[in-house]
Amino acid sequence: MAALLEEAPRFFGYYNMLFLGQAFAFTALLSLVGCGGGFVFGFGLAVLRSERIVRFAPLRWVATVYVELFRRIPFLVKLMVIFFAFQLAGFDVSGFVVAATTVALSASAFSAENVRAGLEAVHKNQWDAAEAMNMGGLTALRRVILPQAWRIIIPPSMTYSVGLVKSTSIVSQIGVFELTYAAKILNQKGFSAGICFGTILLLYFALCYPLNLMAARLESKLAPSRH
Amino acid sequence: MAYTLQFGQVTPYLGYLAGGAWLALQLAAIGFVVGWAIGLVCAAILHYGPWLPRKIVRAYVVFFLNTPLLVQIFFIYFALPDWGIVLSSFQAVVIGMSLNAGAYLTEIQRAGFNSIRREEIEAAETLGFSRLQSIRHVIVPHICKVLFPPLSNQYIILTMTTSIAAIFGVEELTGRTYNINAQTFRALEIFSIAALYYVALTLVASAALYSIGRYFFRIKGKVF
Repeated sequence: MAALLEEAPRFFGYYNMLFLGQAFAFTALLSLVGCGGGFVFGFGLAVLRSERIVRFAPLRWVATVYVELFRRIPFLVKLMVIFFAFQLAGFDVSGFVVAATTVALSASAFSAENVRAGLEAVHKNQWDAAEAMNMGGLTALRRVILPQAWRIIIPPSMTYSVGLVKSTSIVSQIGVFELTYAAKILNQKGFSAGICFGTILLLYFALCYPLNLMAARLESKLAPSRH
Repeated sequence: MAYTLQFGQVTPYLGYLAGGAWLALQLAAIGFVVGWAIGLVCAAILHYGPWLPRKIVRAYVVFFLNTPLLVQIFFIYFALPDWGIVLSSFQAVVIGMSLNAGAYLTEIQRAGFNSIRREEIEAAETLGFSRLQSIRHVIVPHICKVLFPPLSNQYIILTMTTSIAAIFGVEELTGRTYNINAQTFRALEIFSIAALYYVALTLVASAALYSIGRYFFRIKGKVF
């Protein structure tokens, strides 16, 4: 403990803080880009899986197989497959792009499930009523179903996104600069593991805790009234 | 430079990989059982305990839910030796995974405790059930039905989480995939096969858990 206190002033110097601040920004950016892109993609997948909109069954099956596959592969394995696929296909992209793609593909599979659950929570009669008013599938989705479903979709999507913020620590494995990677560098520069990893644990906490609180608050606020 | 997939070069290793899958299942089982026990104790403390233990458990849960498992294990593996606690990589991974799972399972089981209504117990008393009978016939069936789906979901997630052990050199499914990759350099092939192993593992677990839930606890729901 005494060694830790002795080391602290040197560790919390200006340049280390700048370094960690940058890493923090990269973790946040990676999560934002990945989860944002993934949510849009996942939303499309959920729409593709809806019987009311897509009448062509094989297309629905393809979307279902994609979601089931990507939900069941661990983040690390997905990261490696995408990393090598980019490399071997001859695309010369930065590690950040590989990482963001992985986060987005993970997010898409989970978002597709959340969106589907939200769409299914709306009563079937609503679709029938929209059809009776001569609305097409997509119009019904936009004007009738989504205004009711979004309150059910948003809170779990947010919780999953926070989960992915934590998963981004794994991309340090392919040498992408973010919080965990920064801690490993500082550790190799000679600072003790306790102070390096302890500090980034707190930084991750500072990123995830407010988001989780916000998700919980949204959930209680948006909960549909039971009638 | 075109890359041709050559699965022929990695097929001799499929059995070796299956051994890794077995270790992954064991890791998941240990993590789940220990985490479940931690969760049960913590949920009971949150529900019935006095002020200070409640706050401590609350802090533990909130901290572990909001930080990455990978960094938690890094801390356990690399930082604890400074305070004289030296763990093997396997021990560090198991402890980290169990503590992490414990936090999630505390949240799940707390929700289960909260779902019991006072009216249920009163109704059982009115019907002349003894305390033991009301636990046996009213509370336990109810709790099982409420808890089974999220618990089985957590088990599936835990099976996938075990891949993190590879980063610390534990030779489970992903760890052995790293080894095969180092020997054959057929990276894309072997990692896609590992991905399919995980899909198979979790699909079998999902199907089994679904049947158990349906048969024992009358839980109806979609599999996919």
